[in-house]
Order: sequence, then structure tokens, then C-alpha cells
Amino acid sequence: MNNDTNVKLRLSNSELWGGLIGLALGGFVIWSGMKLKLGTINDPGSGYVLFYTGILMCVFAGAIIVSAVTEGAPTLASRWENVRWSKPLLLIACLVAFSIALEPLGFLLSSIPLVLLLLRLIDPVRWTLAIPIAVLVPSGMWWVLKRLLLIQLPSGLFGIG
Amino acid sequence: MDTLVNVAHGFGVALLPVNLLYCFIGVFIGTLVGVLPGIGPISAMSLLLPVTLSGTPESGIIMMAGIYYGSMYGGSTTSILVNIPGEAASVVTCIDGHQMAKQGRAGPALGISAFGSFIAGTFALIALMLVAPKLASVAIAFGPAEYFSLMVLGLVVLTFLTQGSMPKALLMACIGVVLGLIGLDSITAQPRLTFGRMELIDGIGLVPVVMGLFGVAEVLLNTEQAIKRDIINTKITHLLPTREDWKASAGPVGRGTILGFFLGILPGGGAVVASFASYALEKRLSKTPERFGHGAIEGVAGPESANNAAAGGAFIPLMTLGIPPNVVMALLLGAFVIHGLQPGPLLITQNPGLFWGIVASMYIGNVMLLILNLPMIGMWVQLLKLPYNILFPLIILFTILGVYCSSNNVFDVYVMIAFGIIGYFMRKLGYEPAPLVLAFVLGPMMENNLRKSLILSQGDLWTFVQRPISGVCLVFALVLLIAPLLPSLRKKRELVALDEGA
Repeated sequence: MNNDTNVKLRLSNSELWGGLIGLALGGFVIWSGMKLKLGTINDPGSGYVLFYTGILMCVFAGAIIVSAVTEGAPTLASRWENVRWSKPLLLIACLVAFSIALEPLGFLLSSIPLVLLLLRLIDPVRWTLAIPIAVLVPSGMWWVLKRLLLIQLPSGLFGIG
Repeated sequence: MDTLVNVAHGFGVALLPVNLLYCFIGVFIGTLVGVLPGIGPISAMSLLLPVTLSGTPESGIIMMAGIYYGSMYGGSTTSILVNIPGEAASVVTCIDGHQMAKQGRAGPALGISAFGSFIAGTFALIALMLVAPKLASVAIAFGPAEYFSLMVLGLVVLTFLTQGSMPKALLMACIGVVLGLIGLDSITAQPRLTFGRMELIDGIGLVPVVMGLFGVAEVLLNTEQAIKRDIINTKITHLLPTREDWKASAGPVGRGTILGFFLGILPGGGAVVASFASYALEKRLSKTPERFGHGAIEGVAGPESANNAAAGGAFIPLMTLGIPPNVVMALLLGAFVIHGLQPGPLLITQNPGLFWGIVASMYIGNVMLLILNLPMIGMWVQLLKLPYNILFPLIILFTILGVYCSSNNVFDVYVMIAFGIIGYFMRKLGYEPAPLVLAFVLGPMMENNLRKSLILSQGDLWTFVQRPISGVCLVFALVLLIAPLLPSLRKKRELVALDEGA
């Protein structure tokens, strides 16, 4: 690893960010534990385990931060070097869009475009194959679940599916 | 005599047509996910967890178990023919297996891998039949302190064996515990970390968490690179190993079986560790260690036997103590709980049909796998040519449907997508999801046992040290926590560190 990808006390240090997120989560868990009441050691309350787990989280996050600063760590950008980073990003965008559309549009109207997009985005499948797969597979699954297994899938505002 | 009667009863259950069908589906899917790189048994089991709801507990668990040990068989095919491990436990098989294939000996490599797996699987089942009832009778005497300490040991061993730095793995385990505690407190019924959302009152489901972390995140990671495959195209012949092959492999199969079985029982251990340990052992014992890495059949026979024996051994802590020793067993525990069953010391006496039926089905499954993996090898080779750009979108669709069907709740789909995205970034930053999932399952049990022991001992923390089993577990856990601080042990840990997610 060269100097550009292995950094110590810099904002681009990926391990530092990981540790800081862990520390923040640990702090939140400690606070939640205290809010829920710790109880006593004879009779531990609802927040007892949460509180001590939060402390452990802060300790481990602290160890990650110390190691990141003293030993150095790869930069955030180097974690996505030499990979097709746009593919997972597009996939994430599709999944977020799907989760927003699922309840208002229903299963069929949201899953057919999702599968079609995924088929075209990952490593583009030709349209003549992508369209039949995107229509037939979700529709087939919907038919099996709704008609054979009597499982009600979300039908959305339009009542389709 | 009792054991024989129980085994006969077990075969009676396992040979029911419906259970035979589920067993076949399980081993078939197991081989399928073992063969396909990128999809491991964890993803497949989490995907099919909701399906187990439709049948009897026996059928569902027989199928889930079949996926696990079936994937151990299937993983070797991809390792040998493509040099890509089908699942994590077959990583070592790539080293010598693919070299053998390149030298035109793919047949004997696949053959010894299947026979070794069968022998090891059979041994593990016989040992399971003999050990499990005895251990269960001892486990009845376990109190909350012992359970708590055993779970702590299991988590520490897993974090010790996970790739990357130990603080990261321990942080993941803590996050898993916290996620497991979301919902109503089992003692005071007070809602915890629910943020006022009714969907969180019962906690987060295991299915969306696992499907997100292992299914969706795995697809996201796999899309980063175009998967290139260097499939051995020559016709595969001579699947039956020769006399010389058997002579060279007998020792590695025997040693791998015993080593794998014991490593499988240990909390936190499992098939991956077993295969690595067996390879290291064979290389050390060999008179010609320089052959390893250049197509030594011992390097295939040992690890493949070890990972199958470990898969069988891992059922012991789950069935007798109710403690899953690894993530796969945690999923199986999920399947038990979905059916209202609690694995533990009383399972064998209260549900003998279930326990012995599962054990017998595993034997039948091993025979099915031998048939599936030898005469039908051509079919799996064809499957290796399946285009991933079609497979991945379908996996995403099936995970969405699987999660929705497990609870009929759209909220769980959101949870899965969120965990899929979190899991992807976690993996990119070197945080393994396996400790998180095991801790997620063990967290509520750990909390319950900790609080119970503190109440029973009136707040005396010495109770965890004074009770021998509990004390020994905690000492081991402490040793493993301190070990990475010593440079020599740190190096050894890095050598055996595993990637459970594959």
C-alpha cells in the first residue's frame, strides 16, 4: 500500500470513520441504557445490559480509532479503487426507490421495473431477454403466492396484485 | 440398545415420503449454492427460512440441515473445476484440487472429495447419535451462569476466528447484542429502542437481518467485479479414485474426520476452521510437503472430510445445549423457534421423533449427496456456466419475497434493504457480519441468563467463576481476548481467520 492509500491522522482515514461511528453508536446505547434504568446488581433493570454493552462498544471503537491513528489505515477512496463502484451504488438506488414505491404501487408494479432495471444495470442483459424475465418472474411468483399459497402481497393504491 | 431403537424410530420419521422430499430439496439446494460462487449456505438458508413455515417442524429442519451439509459437498466442485471456492469451507480445496484438475485428474479429485465427505459425514452422524444424548443428560444440570459463560465463549471464539482486527469483530458482536435486545424486555415488558414504532415492539426479525447482511450485501459486493470463470473444459472421467489414491488419502480422511468433528463441536468453530486446520495438519505430517500446492490428493481429502465432519459436529451444541456454535446453526435455531420448539437438553426426551428423525435424515441426505455429486457431476458443471447478470436480480427478488412472506409485513422488507446496504458498507470497511448475527441470536438469551444468575446469586459476580464449567469457559474466553496482543499468536490468528460470509 503506498502513502496515498495508507494514511494516519486524516479525515480520509477509513478506519477512523469506522471507529467514530462505533463510538457514536456506543454513546447512544449507553444513554439509552441509562434512560431505561440500570436497576441494581441484585436486580438488574431493562437498561443494565444495554448500558454495559454500550461501554464495551466505546472501548472497542476506541481501540479501532487508536490503531487507525497510530498504525494508519487505507483511505475511504482506496476501498473502492479498481472496482466498478457505480454498480452497487446504482443497485442501492434501485432498492431505495423500490422500498419507497412498494406500498403505494404494490408488489407487481414495483417489482417488475426493479427486476428490469437490475437486469439492465448489473451486466446489461439484452432487452429481448430482460423484458420477458422481468415480467414473467415477478408475475409468476405473485401468482404462486397469491393463488396457490394464499399469501396477500401489497396491492398498492391501484389495487393491482 | 436404546440408541438402536431410537435410530430405528428416527429412520421411520426420516423415510416418510414428505420428509424424504424435503431432505432431497435441502441437499439439492445445498449442492446448488455450494456450486455457485457468491451464494453460501447462510444466504440460502436465510432465503428458505420462511418456507419451513409451511410444513412440519421435522420437514423444515431436515431441509435446512440438508442445505448446510449439502453445500459442503457442492463447494468442492467449484473449487476443483473453477478455482473459485463455492463457499468458505472449500477455500483450501482450491489449492490442490484445481492443480489436480489442471493435470487432468479432476475426476479423482472430485471422487475423493465426495467419498471423503461421505465417510466423514457418516462418522459425524454416528458420533452425534452417541454423544448428543449423553451430553444432553449432563446439560440438564446447567444453570444460567453456565449458559451465559458458554455463550460468551462462543462469541469470543467466533470473533477470534473472524477475518480482520479483533476490536472490529467484538464491536460487531456488541452491535448484534444491542439489535437483539430491541423490543419488549422479557422480564419487565418495558419497550427498548423501539423509537415509538409498533413494528419494533416484537424486535427485529432474524430473517430480514440475515437476508440483508448475507443475501443483499453479497449481491452488492459481487456486482463490483465482473466474475471471470476459468472452467476446466475437459471431460471428467475416472471419478473413482485408484488404489494409490485411496492409500494416500486414507490417513488424511481419518484425521480430517476426527479433527473436523471436534472443531465443529467447539463454540465459534465450524467447517471453515476445520478445513484450514486439516490442510495445515496434513502438510505438516507429510513426508513430501513440497507436493502441497501442486496437486497433492491429501490436500483435497483431508479438508473436504474435515469440513463435512465439522458440519455434523456443529449440531451437538445446538441440539443438546440450545446454543448455536456458528451462524448457520443460529439460523437453524431460528427455524426451531419459528416452530415453537426450543432446542436444548430436553429436546431429545420431549421430541425424540424430531431429534432422531433429523439425525437419520442426515444419513439419508449423505447417501443422496453421493449420488448427486458423482454420477450427476456433469449437471453441476453446466450450472457453473449460468450467467450471473440474470441470477443476481432474481436473488434480490427472492429475498424480498422471502422476507415479506415470513411475516406478511412490508416493514421487514425495509429492514432487509437497510441491512443489505449497511452490510455492504460494513464489508467494504472490513467489518464481518458473522459475529453480529450470532450475537443477535445469542443476545437476548445471554441477557436473560445474566440477569437470572445475578438475581439468583444476589448480585455475587463470583458465581460465574466459582461454578467450574462457567469458570473454565470464561478463562478460555479471556485467553482468546488477550491472545491477539501477543505478536506470535496474532500471526497464527491471521492464518486461521475465516470469512463466514462467503
